[in-house]
Amino acid sequence: MAEQPPFIYDSAQRPPPFVDEFVQLLRYRDLIFLMIGNILKNRYKRSMLGVFWMLLNPLLQTIVLAVAFGAMFKSALPHYPVYLLSGLLAWSFMTQTTQYAMGVMATGGGLLKRIYIPRATYVVAVVGNGLVNFLVSILPLTLIVWFLGHPVSASWLFLPVSVVILALFTLGLALLLSTASVFFTDSIDIYQILVQAGFFLTPIMYPLAVLPESLSGWMVLNPFFLFIELFRTPIYASAVPDAGLIAATVALALLTLLAGWTVFTRKADLLAYRL
Amino acid sequence: MIQLDQVTVRFRIPHERIPTFQEYAIRWLQRRGVRYSNFNALNNLSFSVDQGETVGVIGPNGAGKSTLLKVIAQVIRPTQGRVRLRGRVAPLLELGAGFDYEMTGRENVFLNGAVLGFSRRDMARRLDRIVDFSGIGDFIDAPVRTYSSGMVARLGFAVATDVQPEVLIIDEVLAVGDAHFQQKSAARIRKFRQSGSTILVVSHNPASIKALCNRVLWLERGVIRLVGPVEQVMQQYAPDAPSPFSK
Repeated sequence: MAEQPPFIYDSAQRPPPFVDEFVQLLRYRDLIFLMIGNILKNRYKRSMLGVFWMLLNPLLQTIVLAVAFGAMFKSALPHYPVYLLSGLLAWSFMTQTTQYAMGVMATGGGLLKRIYIPRATYVVAVVGNGLVNFLVSILPLTLIVWFLGHPVSASWLFLPVSVVILALFTLGLALLLSTASVFFTDSIDIYQILVQAGFFLTPIMYPLAVLPESLSGWMVLNPFFLFIELFRTPIYASAVPDAGLIAATVALALLTLLAGWTVFTRKADLLAYRL
Repeated sequence: MIQLDQVTVRFRIPHERIPTFQEYAIRWLQRRGVRYSNFNALNNLSFSVDQGETVGVIGPNGAGKSTLLKVIAQVIRPTQGRVRLRGRVAPLLELGAGFDYEMTGRENVFLNGAVLGFSRRDMARRLDRIVDFSGIGDFIDAPVRTYSSGMVARLGFAVATDVQPEVLIIDEVLAVGDAHFQQKSAARIRKFRQSGSTILVVSHNPASIKALCNRVLWLERGVIRLVGPVEQVMQQYAPDAPSPFSK
C-alpha cells in the first residue's frame, strides 16, 4: 500500500534507547542535513554580505584582539595573530556550539513534542552546523598564515584528525548540556558565565608560559586547553602533537561522547514531557 | 491495526514554580524536594482499532484525546502499558510541523518531508505532485512567511498525505483552507479510508464525526466513558448538537 516497507511499532519491545536512537538518527539523516543547511541559510540569507560574514567574522575578531594584545606577547609569540586565531577557532567551535545546542533544546525543541523525530536531531544538527562554520573559518586562518609568512609544514595534515576529535568531544558535551538545559533552565546562564570565565582562564590569547608555574601545571586538567593545543600545535608550532596529548584527548572525547549519549538517550523519553 | 493495552500516561505537575538549578540546589540543601502531583492524562486505557476502521475520538477538553493521539504517533511513550501498531503513521496533528518560515515553500516541502521520515530523493520525485495538490502555484518559491495561514495548512496537508499511510491521525484539521480545498482534502481522506487506511479522528464537531466514522471512543478524564457504533455514542454524547451560534 505505502511505498516504504511497513514497520511495526511496539512501545514495549524496542531496542535499548542507546541503540535505538542511533538507528533512528540514521533513518532521519536527510533531516539532519537539511537542518544544517537551513541554519546556515537563515543566518546569512538576509545580511548584505551573506556568507562572507563567515569569513569576515574571524578575521575582524583577530584584528581587534591582535591590535589590543599583540604588543604584549610580541616576543613570546611571533606571528601572534596565527597563535590567537587558531586557538580562538577551536575555542569558539567548542563553546558556541554547545551554547547553541542548549538554547535550541530549551526553546526551539517544540517540534519534539508535536511530532516524532529522533530526539537527538537538533543537537546533532547544531554540532554539524558548528563543524561547517569551523571548517569554513580555517580559510581566513590560512589567509593570515600566508599574509604573515608563517611556515606551513606537513604537520597540517594532522588537522583533520584534530577536527574529528574536537567534534566528538563537542557532540558529547552538547548532549550532556542540552539534557541539563531541559531540566534546569538556568543551566544555560550558568554555562554562559563559565564559558566567559573559561576564555580568560585558558591560554587562548596568551601563551601558557605567562602563567606562574604553580598555575600552569593545573592546565592539564582544563579539557578545553588540551583540545585547543591539539588543533593549534600543527598550525602554530608546525609539529604533530605529542602522543600523550593525542591519547588524552581521544580518551576524553570518547568518554564525553559516551556519557553524553548515555545520559541523553536515557532521558530522551522524558523530553517530550518536560519541554 | 492499533492496539493499546492498559496504557497510562502520567504527567508530573510541579506545585511550585519551574525548577531552576538554583531552586533545586537550595531545596536539596534544605532537604525538601520539589513537590509534584501526578496527573494521569490517560489512565489504564485499553482499546484497539482494526485495520481499515475509522474511529472518532470525542470528549471534553482535558479528556486525554490529544495525549492519546500523541501516544499513537510516538511523540510520547506511555508511562505504563503497551502501544502497538502496524505500518506508517501520518499525523495530521500539526500541519506543517517544522516549517521554517524564512524558507521557500519548495524548501519546506523537503524539510517537512524529512520531518515525516522521508528521504530527500523520495521527496524530489514527488515534489510536483505535492505542489500541484496544494494549489500554491507560483508562491512555491516565495518564503513561507508570505503565505496566508490557509496556504501553510494546504501545503502541510499536501506533504503529509501524498503517500497513503497505514494509519492516519487527524486532529480537528478537516477544515483546511477554502471551500474548494476542503472538498479536495475530504475526498483524499475518503479515498484513504476506502483503500484500507486506519483512521483516527479527533473532533468537537458531531457532524464530521458522524460523516466519517464507524465507531466512536468517548474519553473523559483519561478513561473510556463509552465506546461503540457512531450513532449510539453520539446519541448520548450530543443528542441534538445545535450550532453554538444558533439561537
